[in-house]
Amino acid sequence: MALQHLEFSYPGIPGASIPDQWFHSGVVGSGDMEVLLTRKEQQGKVTVKVCTPVRGFEQVWDKVLERFVLESGCGDLELEINDNNATPFVVGLRLRQALQDARGGELA
Amino acid sequence: MESMIGRGRDAISMIVDPDSFTENRVGEAQVPEGYGPGAVVGTASLNGRPVTILANDAQAVNPRFPVVYFGVIGMEEAYKMASAVYESILADRDKPVGEKRPLLLIVDTPGNGPGKVEEIFGMNKATGAYQLALAEARKAGHAVIAMVIGRAISGAFLCHGLQADHILALPKECGTMIHVMPLTSISRITKMDIERLEELSQESPVFAAGVDFFYRLGGVEEIVPAPEGMRDALARHVELVEALKREGHYEQTGPWSRGALGAERGGRTTRPEVLRRMAEEFAAVSSSYLA
Amino acid sequence: MNYQEGQNHSFLEATARERANLLVDEGSFTELLGPQDRMTSPHLPALGEAVSFDDGVVTGVGRIGTRPVFLISQEGRFIGGAVGEVHGAKMAGIFRLALEAYEAAAKAHPDNLDLYRPAVVISFETGGVRLHEANAGLLAHAEVMDLIQDTKGKLPVISLIGSKVGCFGGMGFVAAATDAIIMSPQGRLGLTGPEVIEQEMGKEEFDASDKSLISRTTGGKHKYIMRDCNILVEDKVADFRRALCELLAQPYEKVCACRRIGSYELVKEQMDLVALAAELNPGDAKDVWRYYGNEHPEQLPELETAEFLRVVHRRPKEVR
Repeated sequence: MALQHLEFSYPGIPGASIPDQWFHSGVVGSGDMEVLLTRKEQQGKVTVKVCTPVRGFEQVWDKVLERFVLESGCGDLELEINDNNATPFVVGLRLRQALQDARGGELA
Repeated sequence: MESMIGRGRDAISMIVDPDSFTENRVGEAQVPEGYGPGAVVGTASLNGRPVTILANDAQAVNPRFPVVYFGVIGMEEAYKMASAVYESILADRDKPVGEKRPLLLIVDTPGNGPGKVEEIFGMNKATGAYQLALAEARKAGHAVIAMVIGRAISGAFLCHGLQADHILALPKECGTMIHVMPLTSISRITKMDIERLEELSQESPVFAAGVDFFYRLGGVEEIVPAPEGMRDALARHVELVEALKREGHYEQTGPWSRGALGAERGGRTTRPEVLRRMAEEFAAVSSSYLA
Repeated sequence: MNYQEGQNHSFLEATARERANLLVDEGSFTELLGPQDRMTSPHLPALGEAVSFDDGVVTGVGRIGTRPVFLISQEGRFIGGAVGEVHGAKMAGIFRLALEAYEAAAKAHPDNLDLYRPAVVISFETGGVRLHEANAGLLAHAEVMDLIQDTKGKLPVISLIGSKVGCFGGMGFVAAATDAIIMSPQGRLGLTGPEVIEQEMGKEEFDASDKSLISRTTGGKHKYIMRDCNILVEDKVADFRRALCELLAQPYEKVCACRRIGSYELVKEQMDLVALAAELNPGDAKDVWRYYGNEHPEQLPELETAEFLRVVHRRPKEVR
């Protein structure tokens, strides 16, 4: 019943982080999520913490996140996600948007 | 134990000096007979001192506003109470703190008027007006003490009770109810088992219904063990609050003080951390905002 | 999204953080206790509810001209913008900082205080108390009302209501207690939510699924006619910002004159209005609009905002 905490780690590209120390994006609406991206020098690794009310979808998260890291070419990052029943499609979309905005220096 | 639910008028006689209550009269003002019948206002004495009484009458129905019955606070009721508060402030405006008449709130109300006409004309203003009046009286130096004798439910408790300096309550054995929503409704809305919610409410008083939980959150200053004790407890808290105000310790009374009390009793421990960090973060940038 | 683009967006659709950034001067907003503080609700996890790093409210400080503006912007997408312990404490915290800023300004600029007087701006989007932490939410409402009383005579508190969830429950009277209220026709303001009224009065009297009925009873146009909304603007971020800037450019006393409650005099005016309510006993808000001289009340909901403002008859200050 309580919230579920998941952790993941992926090899990324050293130095391919975000320009600012941190960047926030998204709203925890129903079927949506927010993500806080933080610069972290960790040999290119991308670490992810997910907090979600949904149980039993670790493998789906793993696949979506792995694909995002691979395709976006990011690295040296920590992602903290608060999820409220977002679909894998929405998760992928939000993460790509967040990274793009973080790199473009757009208004939150 | 004796229940006081629906007995606001009985509670008045149990609390004030015998035969001292004059209904509808506060300061120079006379409230028209029959106006806002769900609310009882007037002047009485407590140990020989004048006090303003603000109570609910759960037996009355308002013929003009049919959603007002069973202690509901409607528009007339809320403005009647607000007027009694302003009259009290006016009557004692030249008296020093400690000599201004205390305001006693006797609380037994299930809600604010939930009707169409109420929304068209703005019930939100009526309940807001009474709260602002009480806050003004409190800050002007009047001791404002609430005594929960029955139901203190959600927005109605905010309207009539939570703006007091100190809040006292009879124990749950008297049938006293303080909550936003009963656990059964919370269970329905959050889709959680009632058993699980009951179990959780033992660890955290934050959503459960009941006087004891509000005590732990700092929402109730003191639980008065039995109705016979109401009079003495109210008199004692009037003195306590007046002593604090004479010393200028206004922040140790009223809603703000209940924040500190909630942290002390372990019920609301995150609040102080929020306030501290906001102040800290603002201090770091304040020079670019405060010219 | 950049600042200029954002100004052209719908206020109704804007997130709390967008509203906060766009209402004050460009680039002037500093969020206090923002997402990087990760101050999530301590109560939601045990109930299995999703948490948010800002607990559903964006708080911070910005500037409009020379004045510091302390902002509270609620996010309706997160649990309906409802107020729990952290959310409520953040609201209270903003008021405390604004009051301290006022003391500093009053000391530094005794002769031209209006130029430097801080303001509190609340962009409401909430149904009031958050059930999952109801008791803490309730106590926070009382604190905010207490703090609003503290601002009287010192600094303006301005409500903006034009977001999806509207402003209901306890926050309905918090808004009523502020100095001035700016709404769009899409804004909703009230105390009791439509479902509860339906439950109390029956579906024949009040059908909670009837959107135009809800709009006529709680919407910006109705509140404007009743003088419960002071300024009615189009559903555009820039229009809310312009109205806010123009209001803050007025002397403080002018802003205070927008109040509907908060003094004995105003309570007496409201009591006259309640007497009228009893006398008219309207079956619909349209009956009241007609009473105030709007000959074709059924046409008002359909009018564009500018046209509505041109033709509408509002309640006179003396009620009748």
